Amino acid sequence: MEHIVFGIGITALAGALATVAGSAEDTESNIGSQGDPNSQVQLAPQMGFVHRIFNKAVAGEPPAYGLWVALGAGLAWAFMAMHINAVLAIVLGCILAVFVQGVYATTAYLGRTASLAKFGQPVYVDILKSMTSVTMAHAFVAIFCTVTLCYLINAALGHPFPLPLLGLIWGITLGAAGSATGNPYYGKERQYQNQKFGAGVPISASGNIVRFAEAGERNSLDNGFFTAKFGGPASGVCFGLIVFLELWRTVIFERISAGWGAIIIGVLMILIFTVADRYIEVWARKTYGPYTEPKKEASS
Amino acid sequence: MSAVAAKPAAGGAMNPTAMAVGVVMLIILLAIAWKMAPGLGLMALIGVIIGGVLIGFGVHFVPVGGAPAAMGQAPGIATGVAMLAAGAGVAGLFGGAWAADQGLVVAVVTGAVGGGLMMAITCMLVNFVYVFGMGIPAASGKVLKDPITGDSQPEYKSQGTEGHGLPFVSFVGGVIGGLLGGAGGTLIYIELLNLYKATLPTVLKASAGDILPVAVAAAGMFAIALFLVNAVLTAYNITGTIEGPHDPKFKRWPRAIVASAVASALCGLVAVLIVSI
Amino acid sequence: MSIKVEVIEGGVPHNKIMIAGFVCTIVCLYLSYLNVATNTTLFSFFGGLAAVAALIWGSHTIKVLCSYGIGTGVPSAGMIAFGSGIMAMLLATKFNVLAPIVAVILGAVIGLILGYVANAILNMKIPAMVQALTEMAVVGALTLMGLAVLITGSFTFAGLTTGSVMVMGFISVPSYQVSFIGGGLTAVAFLLGAIAIQHPFNACLGPGWKQDRMLMLTAECGFLSMIVAAVMSFAMVNAIAALISLIVALIGWGYTYHQYILLSKRDAFAWLDTKPIPEMEGH
Repeated sequence: MEHIVFGIGITALAGALATVAGSAEDTESNIGSQGDPNSQVQLAPQMGFVHRIFNKAVAGEPPAYGLWVALGAGLAWAFMAMHINAVLAIVLGCILAVFVQGVYATTAYLGRTASLAKFGQPVYVDILKSMTSVTMAHAFVAIFCTVTLCYLINAALGHPFPLPLLGLIWGITLGAAGSATGNPYYGKERQYQNQKFGAGVPISASGNIVRFAEAGERNSLDNGFFTAKFGGPASGVCFGLIVFLELWRTVIFERISAGWGAIIIGVLMILIFTVADRYIEVWARKTYGPYTEPKKEASS
Repeated sequence: MSAVAAKPAAGGAMNPTAMAVGVVMLIILLAIAWKMAPGLGLMALIGVIIGGVLIGFGVHFVPVGGAPAAMGQAPGIATGVAMLAAGAGVAGLFGGAWAADQGLVVAVVTGAVGGGLMMAITCMLVNFVYVFGMGIPAASGKVLKDPITGDSQPEYKSQGTEGHGLPFVSFVGGVIGGLLGGAGGTLIYIELLNLYKATLPTVLKASAGDILPVAVAAAGMFAIALFLVNAVLTAYNITGTIEGPHDPKFKRWPRAIVASAVASALCGLVAVLIVSI
Repeated sequence: MSIKVEVIEGGVPHNKIMIAGFVCTIVCLYLSYLNVATNTTLFSFFGGLAAVAALIWGSHTIKVLCSYGIGTGVPSAGMIAFGSGIMAMLLATKFNVLAPIVAVILGAVIGLILGYVANAILNMKIPAMVQALTEMAVVGALTLMGLAVLITGSFTFAGLTTGSVMVMGFISVPSYQVSFIGGGLTAVAFLLGAIAIQHPFNACLGPGWKQDRMLMLTAECGFLSMIVAAVMSFAMVNAIAALISLIVALIGWGYTYHQYILLSKRDAFAWLDTKPIPEMEGH
């Protein structure tokens, strides 16, 4: 019984850390403009729209975060093997991982922007200086929380995988969850804020991202504070739910019916989310209504 | 010279000669395993091949829209297909590895449920963001009616786009993809783990308890590496984006089965030979 | 809307880079074998240099492959390179002193088969695919071997699966958990290499792509990976050896990073500090 209570406590802590990590990860990738929305930042100068957005083209979020978290975890593991205290080891490991992340961010911006010289896109050194530190700070929060939850899973809950391998796993999942949830919000709502709300961006408008802000010229920090109001928390809830529910169903139910208990609960959870998704979809169709009149069957 | 113009169309056509060559290669690889590592090694290789095929097939179900999806121009999830599938699969592998000592069937099903749960949560929240954050309903660009719910799609597609969000069939596809990917990855892990647990004590001349960390870490790393190889091959097969099981590109799956089988057999053979020579 | 990828010719031909990278990597890996000859771990830093050489070769291969527009992003190429490379590398380590050569042969076989699978079975029909995937599997195997040598001091299977743990502060006990494979450091090396190999082409993508700038960036990524790997090696090799690796890596990184910034300055349209968006007609 005590064992389960301890397990639930760790699960709750891991879930909370995961929520913070997911939110920080999405905000960081929006401030740095990483992942699929970055294709628009790359495209804009080619269509004649020169901008002051940070063009951080470091792979996609899943492999990039897989690297930062695995690196943080690996370094923490090495420090712990040298008998350094666990908390200090994790902090030092994450600091070094964030240093690597910052360097990759700067080289990506310089590389992409220098290669766009033909279209007149200048390298803004002040953007480089101001965005890099902010994106590193958010990345540190995300990496530290994820490495800590990996350590908890390994040391307190007894998962067989070693820390760096857990770091790789949760880093890739963090990137995938945060990218899936946060990218459309950044891409459509903030990058294309000048398009009509409630519809996708028409293909003819590609490249015409918002470059002038409420007062003055927009930069990536403006994108960050906007998405941190919805996209960030949504990504945080996504990753937090993934970690929490995965751990919760295992810790409580794994001993019931030799493992089948956790499986049944997992299937039930999938069904609950399916029902929730269907409800959201139907609600949208009823509340928003169609864009045009429904086409007749014969003429389609 | 524009490289985009120079790119030959990947097309959906099957190449029967190549498929036959692939099957022959598969048989040769199985024969090598039977010669060099009969019994446990061959069993492990067969398990790895099945796991790899499950992964390769499962990734076809995952709805990925790529860069246009990030602007609400195409349906699907706005991430790369290989890495999104890898994310679901490793989340499943995590759960499956934890249940490894409860038997093969329980572990593989646990892994499947882990992957499916991760995709279910992610897909639900993607729709959540589209509907409540962006005010956009889900619509598919490839079919007139959703195959599962019968909802009509064209009038819910905004002008100038190919669709957006995750229609219900894409959601179901995503969950199935997560289930198959998690199952496949866990199967590869368990097979290699059992093989290493049985053979590493003789290879490293140590007790079974001592070498357990090496066995676990090596098997886990191979499972993840095989996952990535299979997912990337599937990404090549569907040329980057797919709306889900209803997309016409889905019909290309036979090619991917053979490709995944050959690639998994090859990498699995190498993993088996580590403890057999 | 896809990004225009235009093949810009010029610079050193790919085959020259391939041969130079291949020779440098093998030489550096065998130089690190001096560790065994002198029974120390002082020469581990050659493993890091081998990894840098292999990465330079590999990033140019990715440039050749991805210039054809394969439909997926550049990072996938890095993943498949290292996914196949890690298999080849781990099997090759069983052959002791012949490990680098066996890694090359195995990597080439795996890459060839994967290239055939991708080109013929998956019907991609890209001219450079088979050779590119072959090269990338070899590069993946050699880079991982280089990083393994840097962190543990050897490229044999026994060396990668055993480490030592200090008991009571002064007794050294062999441990399988504190080892390259047992501790899961393969995962870190895998991702370090996979991101480092695809980043230079991905980051320098665009009409203004220049070969020397990309290759300088590859060297910088390689040395950056070497820095963190050297820090991790403090747990596995003795402190002097790890310190040598760290200093070599820091000097290498500092130089290549500085050169990369100068090259970017050379190629950029303008190098502005706190200036507004320039006026362009019509926008």
